[in-house]
Amino acid sequence: MNEFTSVLPELIKNITTGMPHFLPEIVLIITFIVVILTDLFYPGKKSVHTYILVLTGIVISAFFTILQYQSSVNGISVFNDTLKIDRIGIIFKLLFSAVVILYALFIKGNTRMQNHTKGIGDLYMLLPGALLGLNLMAMASSLLMVYLSIEMVSLVSYLMVGYVSDGEKQSEAAMKYALFGGVCSAIMLYGMSLLYAFTGTLSLSDPQFMIRLAEMPQSVAAIAIILVLVGIGFKLAFVPLHFWSPDVYEGAPIPVTAFLSTGPKMAGFAVLIRFMEPFHTASNTSQGTPVFDFVAILSVIAISSMIVGNFAAIWQNNMKRMLAYSSIGHTGLILMAIIVNSNDGIKAMLFYLMMYSIANMAAFMIAGKIEERTGIINISSYKGLGKVYPLEMVCFVIILMSLTGLPPLAGFMGKVLIFSAAIESYSASNSLWMLSLLIVAALTTVVSLFYYFKIPLNAFLRQSDEVFIVKVKRDALSYISLILTLLLILWGIMPGLLI
Amino acid sequence: MIPLAHFMLISAALFCIGLYAVLSKRNAIMILIGIEFMLNAAILNFVAFGKYDKLHMGGQLFALFAIVLAAAAVAVSLAIILNVYTYYKNIDPTVIDQLRD
Repeated sequence: MNEFTSVLPELIKNITTGMPHFLPEIVLIITFIVVILTDLFYPGKKSVHTYILVLTGIVISAFFTILQYQSSVNGISVFNDTLKIDRIGIIFKLLFSAVVILYALFIKGNTRMQNHTKGIGDLYMLLPGALLGLNLMAMASSLLMVYLSIEMVSLVSYLMVGYVSDGEKQSEAAMKYALFGGVCSAIMLYGMSLLYAFTGTLSLSDPQFMIRLAEMPQSVAAIAIILVLVGIGFKLAFVPLHFWSPDVYEGAPIPVTAFLSTGPKMAGFAVLIRFMEPFHTASNTSQGTPVFDFVAILSVIAISSMIVGNFAAIWQNNMKRMLAYSSIGHTGLILMAIIVNSNDGIKAMLFYLMMYSIANMAAFMIAGKIEERTGIINISSYKGLGKVYPLEMVCFVIILMSLTGLPPLAGFMGKVLIFSAAIESYSASNSLWMLSLLIVAALTTVVSLFYYFKIPLNAFLRQSDEVFIVKVKRDALSYISLILTLLLILWGIMPGLLI
Repeated sequence: MIPLAHFMLISAALFCIGLYAVLSKRNAIMILIGIEFMLNAAILNFVAFGKYDKLHMGGQLFALFAIVLAAAAVAVSLAIILNVYTYYKNIDPTVIDQLRD
């Protein structure tokens, strides 16, 4: 025991000085507890009190996150290097807050979920927990925190997929998700235990971590790193680990699908950047061979993700499956920005993620509305819908154009930024990987036109045999998706507002 | 004193047994047991190598967190599997495949 007495005061001091920087997350934890109690004793009609409390808590926590932005130019490490608060992390945290707020609005507007017999309160209750996990993922700078936060988000996601199970498909999707996720996190944990065995430290920012890892034989270190990448890859759904995503996206209720395709995926990118950071700083300072060649392995993953995602999406008829495969393709493209590994690359990635999350949320909102009103889930049945839902379908087309990357929309600017960062990196390094990435990205962008434009083709140009006798009523979701569409146009014309 | 290599060998063996169970078993609960094997392999590694990290106790701490999270994940997965059983009267993941291309 005596050996600890000398370090204890320092450890405690570390915790107390870290607390103020942890304020946004503390707010979320308090919200979580308050929401559980409210939902038990005073839920209101259709858990409306729970809903309002959740939104308030998230907004307050986002407000505190904004306050952090000024004071974190160089990045602050808190809690013995467990968490790192820097500008990128804060931008990610704000994005997550926005996505979770949109998700809450989506649940509120979805009548099928609102009228579910189990009630909707428990689902609202999960939202602060999900946001807490996502925030920790964006800040994690030790292996323990990476594992904890990924598991936190995973557990919440399993529950969300299985929660309002009103059919065989949904329970099947939840089971596939939970089993696949469990295996991936176990593999990641084993990789982390190997890394800990090699280095003797859990902190990624500890210089010992890289020094000791460099002393290990390269192949042994590579195995441990690849095992950790499996866990991160499950969250990102990149190619060798993408099997769950189309099934889960199809089976889950539409608001949950919208969340899964945005929140956890973005957080996966945040964790990937955090995990790669020590390797980059080490390769910048020392001359010798790098410990692990991230460029090669991530390039292979990105190229295969772009090809598999975009080509598989062509054959899909189910709306959600199509969007699932297209999001695998987008993952490949965003990975390209990470491989570039420059300030421009990170900026381009953040811009693209912002565009992608907004466009995906809006696309699922409209698809969900159409599914709810008409029961249509297949793209081939969209025939003639353009006349029935003019506002929604016009928004939908603009959103899909943005996802394809056509000017003058935000998606175009995002692609321009990623491509220019990649071209710059190619002209500096002449790396063959960068060249092949660029070629594949350009080709698959063209391919994506084919499947995205099946929807306007069916909705506006083809006539339907059956006559829709549906009452067209615009609700809050229509207007939210309209606002999101306008944002896409605004950022496309004036990207300077963000960069 | 048991040398560290023995711990690593046992944990590698546990990991492989778990992975084999995950890949070969045709019962969702057996797959969960396989996942548990893999987690315990990692936990064993953490505890064994915690010996070199006496000050921060990183390995021991990680093992505790991993045990708690594993329990939580198993609880959620069992609830989901129970839900699947009520619809399909079967928990063989190879049979339950309505969702596919």
